[in-house]
Amino acid sequence: MTDKHGIKRLFIANRGEIAVRIIRACRKLGIEAVVAISEADRHTLAARMADRAVCIGPAPASQSYLNMPAVVVAAKGTHCDAIHPGYGFLAERAAFVRLCVEQDLVFVGPSARAMEEMGDKLRARRIAEDLKIPTVPGSDHVRTVKEALAAGERLGYPVLIKASAGGGGRGMRIVRAPQEAMDAFDSASAEARAAFGDPTLYIERYIERARHIEIQVIGDRHGNLVHLGERDCSTQRRHQKLIEEAPSPVIDSQVRSSMARAAIELASHVGYTSAGTVEFIYDLDSGNFYFLEMNTRIQVEHPVTELITGIDLVAEQIRVAAGEPLSVAQSDIEAHGHAIECRINAELPDQDFMPAPGTIVRWEPPVGDGIRVDTHCYPGYFVPPFYDSMIAKLIVHGRDRGTAIAKMTEALDSFRVEGLGTTIPFHRSVLRHPDFQENRVTTRWVEQELSARSKAGRS
Amino acid sequence: MPLTHDDVVRILKIIDESDYDEVHIEMGDVKLHLRKGADNEAVPIERPAATRAPQPSLTETPRTESAAVSAPPKKAAPDEPVAEGLVAIRAPMLGTFYRAPSPGEKPFVEVGDKVQPDSTVCLVEVMKLFHSVKAGAAGTVTKILVENGSMVEYGQVLLLIEQEAVGGGK
Repeated sequence: MTDKHGIKRLFIANRGEIAVRIIRACRKLGIEAVVAISEADRHTLAARMADRAVCIGPAPASQSYLNMPAVVVAAKGTHCDAIHPGYGFLAERAAFVRLCVEQDLVFVGPSARAMEEMGDKLRARRIAEDLKIPTVPGSDHVRTVKEALAAGERLGYPVLIKASAGGGGRGMRIVRAPQEAMDAFDSASAEARAAFGDPTLYIERYIERARHIEIQVIGDRHGNLVHLGERDCSTQRRHQKLIEEAPSPVIDSQVRSSMARAAIELASHVGYTSAGTVEFIYDLDSGNFYFLEMNTRIQVEHPVTELITGIDLVAEQIRVAAGEPLSVAQSDIEAHGHAIECRINAELPDQDFMPAPGTIVRWEPPVGDGIRVDTHCYPGYFVPPFYDSMIAKLIVHGRDRGTAIAKMTEALDSFRVEGLGTTIPFHRSVLRHPDFQENRVTTRWVEQELSARSKAGRS
Repeated sequence: MPLTHDDVVRILKIIDESDYDEVHIEMGDVKLHLRKGADNEAVPIERPAATRAPQPSLTETPRTESAAVSAPPKKAAPDEPVAEGLVAIRAPMLGTFYRAPSPGEKPFVEVGDKVQPDSTVCLVEVMKLFHSVKAGAAGTVTKILVENGSMVEYGQVLLLIEQEAVGGGK
């Protein structure tokens, strides 16, 4: 019935800036937006902007945003046609997709099957290998420390222990020598069990000087699947992205098109629909790229792609979910200029990025040509301690990378926030740094740099 | 032209058998606003008569038209301030509110009934899982705020109980 009538009312099963983002897309499409809120989120911007806010549970996510029955009953009870899961929370839970389908709600995202195939990291690796897409040399499941040591021996140290069910850097440990394997194995396994309910681990060769480069794809239910180029997300701390940009300043057009081709092959193989991102590791020393994993959701950093291609990815997701074909063909998609995003968190960079929730006393984001701020914050808003600490995404677009860096620097300088600690000063220092400007940043750069700074501070 | 009980029953039957989600009827001083509830039965919600020029009119909201008319109220279920001496019984979870143990049975409580702290006053159901809501206080039910079969939000006020004075007899 959705194919005949489309989506008239969308339920947003998320919070914060992405809930606001989805509401904006709904407005653009002339769709009503109903948003789920926890008790702690009654006074959020999304609650104010939506056509209706439904309180689905108390503050803890497990009883609210992760509460599948509550989410589904709320969506049905408000006569929504579809659910958008945002990112995080239930966005990559195949069981949730199945529940939506069972309850006659359209899920804005891929099928449960595609989600499962790519969600299991080991399975995704095997699929890539079958398609002759390069993968980081690695192992199958390692069940014991003994197996881990054997894999380390075979692959050559350093290696990275990873959670098969994982993401976001949890359940990961670097092992530089056999002596470290036992502790690393035990703690990775425990962390994986706690975070994902699955302690299964595997091992990969660890690439010392890596860039994280990912390809945005989107497909519809009519067999169309396109890519929108890459994003370079190498500025990370503890595997959490801090700064992203598009296009990647370190790859040439040959690598770019090879990665894009691989991404399309992989997504196509699992019949992928809606927005997704295929992540690669690019080895700066060898110039090789390797498939890492695929994320079957809209990503936090989607705005950089939107700014260089001019395509509204969230609106496109909703349209695809309603059964419409993609609004662009591959040949229509062009990248113009350069975009950079800084994730601004309510954290104190000088105190090991300790979360610093509180009430925003002053909130003056930068404005100007080529400046975009995706946020849920406003003056007087109390940033609660229950959820992640991101308070805004500051994204800029310029005609080239130098212009974008200058614009971002200026934008960070004029972003006034009081009442909370923020990572704005940290971003300023990265943008200023010659390593960032001259593309010497690797996925370990932030940690190395912070470690060097703190040593310098102590001496 | 007053509506008789039979008239209302007949109107409800017509609505029930139709495809319409929601119907507003104004006849003289009577306004009827009917909305199909979760179990697809027309649930009459009578509104107090408005002082208007008595003009019978019937506006329908067919399913295929814009959902705007049947749009749910804008704000989240109100966090109404509760008068002193009254205890608000709130939904412990989001779900469907039921006044009786099962369809056709007598409701757990009616306005005026006396309750004890562990009296069950209603059920909230989420995907076939039923949760009994207890009064949590000794007193008298003064108001039932939610229609049977409608969705309630987490924390939404369901009933009001006038608490017995401390030391009051059982």
